[in-house]
Amino acid sequence: MSRLLRTMVPLVLLVAVLMPAAAQNTIKIGMLVPLTGSAAADGTSALNSVKIALEQVNAAGGVLGKKVELVYYDDQADAKQAVALAQKLIDQDKVTAFVAGSYSLPSRAVAPLFQEAEIPLIAAYAIHPDVTKAGDFCFRNGFLGFVEGRAAAYTAHKLLGAKTVALLTSDNDFGRTLVTGFKEYVTKYGSGLRIVAELTYPMSETDYKAYLTKIKEANPDVIFASGYYFQTGPMLRQARELGIKAKILGEEGADSPKLVEIAGEAAEGFYIVTNFDRDDPRPIVQDFLKEYRSRYKIEPDMVGASAYDAFMILIDAIKQAGSTNTKRIRDNIARLKNFNGLTGIITGFNEIGEVVKPVQVQVVKNGLFRHFGVVNDPALIQP
Amino acid sequence: MNMFIEQLLNGVAVGAIYALITLGLALVYGVLRILHVAHAAIYTAGAYVGLFVYRATGSIPLATLAAMAVCGVLGILIERAVYSPLLKYPPYVPLISSIAMFLGFQELFRLLAGPYIIAFNARLPLSDAFIGHVRISAPILIIYVTSTLVLIALWLLLYRTEIGLAIRATSQDRAIASTMGMDARSLISLTFFIGSAVAAIAGILVGMHYNQVYPTMGTVPAYKSLALIVVGGLGSLPGAVFASLLLGVLETLLIGYANVPLPRDSLAFIAMIAVLLWRPQGLFGRKGGR
Repeated sequence: MSRLLRTMVPLVLLVAVLMPAAAQNTIKIGMLVPLTGSAAADGTSALNSVKIALEQVNAAGGVLGKKVELVYYDDQADAKQAVALAQKLIDQDKVTAFVAGSYSLPSRAVAPLFQEAEIPLIAAYAIHPDVTKAGDFCFRNGFLGFVEGRAAAYTAHKLLGAKTVALLTSDNDFGRTLVTGFKEYVTKYGSGLRIVAELTYPMSETDYKAYLTKIKEANPDVIFASGYYFQTGPMLRQARELGIKAKILGEEGADSPKLVEIAGEAAEGFYIVTNFDRDDPRPIVQDFLKEYRSRYKIEPDMVGASAYDAFMILIDAIKQAGSTNTKRIRDNIARLKNFNGLTGIITGFNEIGEVVKPVQVQVVKNGLFRHFGVVNDPALIQP
Repeated sequence: MNMFIEQLLNGVAVGAIYALITLGLALVYGVLRILHVAHAAIYTAGAYVGLFVYRATGSIPLATLAAMAVCGVLGILIERAVYSPLLKYPPYVPLISSIAMFLGFQELFRLLAGPYIIAFNARLPLSDAFIGHVRISAPILIIYVTSTLVLIALWLLLYRTEIGLAIRATSQDRAIASTMGMDARSLISLTFFIGSAVAAIAGILVGMHYNQVYPTMGTVPAYKSLALIVVGGLGSLPGAVFASLLLGVLETLLIGYANVPLPRDSLAFIAMIAVLLWRPQGLFGRKGGR
């Protein structure tokens, strides 16, 4: 008996060691999303959208004849947490590709790790330029501040017919690059468009009346107000409370159903430049909207749509590569052309991994973001 | 000129909210000599209770009363269960436990109400007021009316009633007040109740004014109100109110006229450092300390 045991134990151990290797008949895609903490709403939206994409892929038979498995962890939008979890995805879970579904701080911290491991990464909505600068395995499906800033200036100038504009932007990297892009447009193409006030607020701000009172004095046609929904929401309310009648234009940070909840009636007629058009008639968009609304009982947003695309681009590249060779997958992401995405027809990625596609302009009507226009002038949308 | 007056009005409104939060802290410091960081958690609890009762009943007065009651009791519980047993240790022990409670409460709010920002959409039957060409918007008017009423009520309570006299006596010297026949135990509980109930009002006002209630809304008030009671003079109630109003106005004017993207919150700490350097007893504190 004891001899049997002595031979059995190593055998069992051997099987236990070999099991994970034998079970590798799925293709693993890794993802980090903030599911707790202040960024939880965005992380949940990204994860929920990718789950829909995952089901669609598996329902269609998976990829390379295997089922796709999504391995995701909560990084709490924290860089330290993200680095540890990224290491786990790389070493333990051995993911084939990675969706960066979190904010800039954690995403730029993990990008060099995936670059080092030569695992392709697509950032869904992180905006910091450093994410793609980590190397040739890192791509981004969201817009850089420069692009969105130029698109915002175009929207104010051509679509809203402004002669004067005030800038109220957050004092962080994104806010500053938005302003750079905005001013670049004004100098190059903005004849007849004048910036009459320029203010920046710190990220921790909650009361914008001091800024808005100053803008009211300058009396612009349009206010370009950048910031997340929890910033632009109160901003819109306070602007209307102060009796400001100017049109207000925001950016993708405000692209959330929470914006309308916080701003209430003051959200009506608020414009944003963003990464998602809810009124896009293509079936991929309308089917997604229907599925998302019925499943999660909330309006989908840009963050989720962009994460969905990031996942689908990875799947497409694996399919094109015909294998899980990560170098070949990377090459196929770089070669992507006119991809039918949720966030639009994606022209492709430029040499530093930044996406090229039209910028969407939405307006709030009856509490919902609706189509207002699109910016597709190549000179403006080229990162 | 109009812009200056409007900015001033904005600043006083911001300051009035600071005053409501800081008052409770000053009251507690007065009777226990504790820096009650968890006060900001009570303020957040007030916003949540107010929000949920308002959603259930649709009545702001009811929501306010409920929040005041819940927070008042919460304040007493914190005092009895945590501060009272720790008073025999050096002051940093209750301070550390207070910080721990504050963080614990934040996580509790997140678990109970979710990490999302919840909108506090309440319409009050007030319309904009005009003084000449200067317009005071309804939300700012509500802050003015509420904070003025609370300040008057507190002043009457503390300076025109025997209970108020007893609280002030206890805060000057607990031992002597006790030998004079005052029940220090109940007076301390009462002080926590009052301070916490006022914090609940502040939580509801802020939640309604910015239309958002979220687990970490107490973070900035937690440290800013500490700076404010130092600036006002530790334990001094008029000092706390004055420092709060002054800071609200200064912050607003700084943004309105200088536009340095300096976080407005840093101003409180610059003021605190300046006060500690040149007038350590605070603006309203008595020299020689207590």
